[in-house]
Amino acid sequence: MSTAESLHQSRKRKNAVMMTLCVAAAGIGLAWLALILGALLYKGVSGLSLSVFTEMTPPPGEAGGLLNAIAGSLIMTIIAVVVGTPIGVLAGTYMAEYGRFSKLTTIVRFINDILLSAPSIIVGLFVYELLVRPMGHFSAIAGAFALAILVIPVVVRTTEDMLTLVPNSLREAGTAIGAPRWIVIKSVAYRAALSGIVTGILLAIARISGETAPLLFTALNNQFWSGNLNAPMASLPVTIFQFALSPYEEWQQLAWTGALIITLTVLGLSIFARSLTGRREDR
Amino acid sequence: MKPMLSTDLNMAESVTEKTKIEVKNLNFYYGESKALKDISLSLRERSVTAFIGPSGCGKSTLLRVFNRIYELYPKQRAEGQVLLDGKNILDRSQDLNLLRTKIGMVFQKPTPFPMSIYENIAFGVRLYEKLGKGEMDGRVEQALKRAALWTEVKDKLNASGLSLSGGQQQRLCIARTVAVKPEVILLDEPASALDPLSTAKIEELIDELQADYTIVIVTHNMQQAARVSKQTAFMYLGELVEFDATEKIFTSPREKRTQDYITGRFG
Repeated sequence: MSTAESLHQSRKRKNAVMMTLCVAAAGIGLAWLALILGALLYKGVSGLSLSVFTEMTPPPGEAGGLLNAIAGSLIMTIIAVVVGTPIGVLAGTYMAEYGRFSKLTTIVRFINDILLSAPSIIVGLFVYELLVRPMGHFSAIAGAFALAILVIPVVVRTTEDMLTLVPNSLREAGTAIGAPRWIVIKSVAYRAALSGIVTGILLAIARISGETAPLLFTALNNQFWSGNLNAPMASLPVTIFQFALSPYEEWQQLAWTGALIITLTVLGLSIFARSLTGRREDR
Repeated sequence: MKPMLSTDLNMAESVTEKTKIEVKNLNFYYGESKALKDISLSLRERSVTAFIGPSGCGKSTLLRVFNRIYELYPKQRAEGQVLLDGKNILDRSQDLNLLRTKIGMVFQKPTPFPMSIYENIAFGVRLYEKLGKGEMDGRVEQALKRAALWTEVKDKLNASGLSLSGGQQQRLCIARTVAVKPEVILLDEPASALDPLSTAKIEELIDELQADYTIVIVTHNMQQAARVSKQTAFMYLGELVEFDATEKIFTSPREKRTQDYITGRFG
């Protein structure tokens, strides 16, 4: 066997070993995901019925649904996104466009990254001190506020990243035609980065829709229907937390079903977000 | 050797030609490093001037001074004078956006905006003019015809500008530039990313456009400079080495460095 050939053989062997290890690692990662999804489907689907979406959370030992929890989650998420998105997009725009070369941007980016990885329970405690204690009671508005704080860093980050990806040549082209800075940003840069920015917002929604800790300290929970933002409000994650730890079988079933609903929602959002970025790459 | 000499001579030869842009003692800095050294030259109205020279010689930098696009970046600054019809555009009081409607620019890589073909052209027009639907349609058609693109796109004006081929995209960018009725068009290696056929089309277009516009083209391609321009400036290491009639530069350059470059001895 020539040297070249034996080297080739040894490379092939190494390649085979590495390949096996990589596939095994990927397999292990995916297996957990599959197990979780499988368990959720197995335990959750059986409880899935129309009444889950039409009835309130029941007292122990009775049948009921998750309507107030789902509605509460929706209300607080929507407020959080409506409040957090403009702040996040504008901050990201400053960092990628106006302040690209400024020191402030570096500082904001650093702080934002800390905020991005801050445990959400700290955000919950922060809002508890800031809103709940002065107000004297838990409220939906405090819950929404805590979620908004979680939305902002995600949106800031993706907006900045996506705008930074817009080639400078495009900005130069817009400027060269006589467009003022803000029009170049609005009509050229935003348009080029749109799908990425929307993806960021969707990912932020996905992130907050499963958050429990910040809501425990702020919106708490409510067994009944409540549209009052100034009062405690139910949410899916907190309801799951409460019901899953209870000894009552009906509650445990509802917790599984609620978990399935959240997971499917997040999955749907992620797939939608992926399809948006995917389309951008096609172009 | 002072580059001023050739410029002065050249101006003497062309007393009948009107000067559109006159550069006087221009220096340009990227932060601390000096990229243009005391450049002086004048560009004739309704004529094509080419800037040639090896990479990094400052030819694109010089072009980017004319519409002050460099101001997008901090730490880049120009000193000296650039007179457009006798008015110094480097003046602080110069409105940059208005300047850029007068001096259009087409870049090396085609840069269609992420919008439809129609909108790509209407975008710039809309910034400074209020036109009705009919007028705007006319303007878009006129610009696309001017850029020799109309017949290829007239049935798909609502298609994305990004769906066009590279050569078509570049002509769309030229159409977009002429649509705002500039006086000067700056071309920064407009054909270097294109295939030979598209390049030929762009060159043909440049030839036609010089009847109405003052054109400045930066190019790596010496044959291209020889084909399209009336005058050529050879730059090297931030200096203007020689500026003269294109024919003169390519047949009997005054400077040894010019001769070496055009004969391919360096660059």
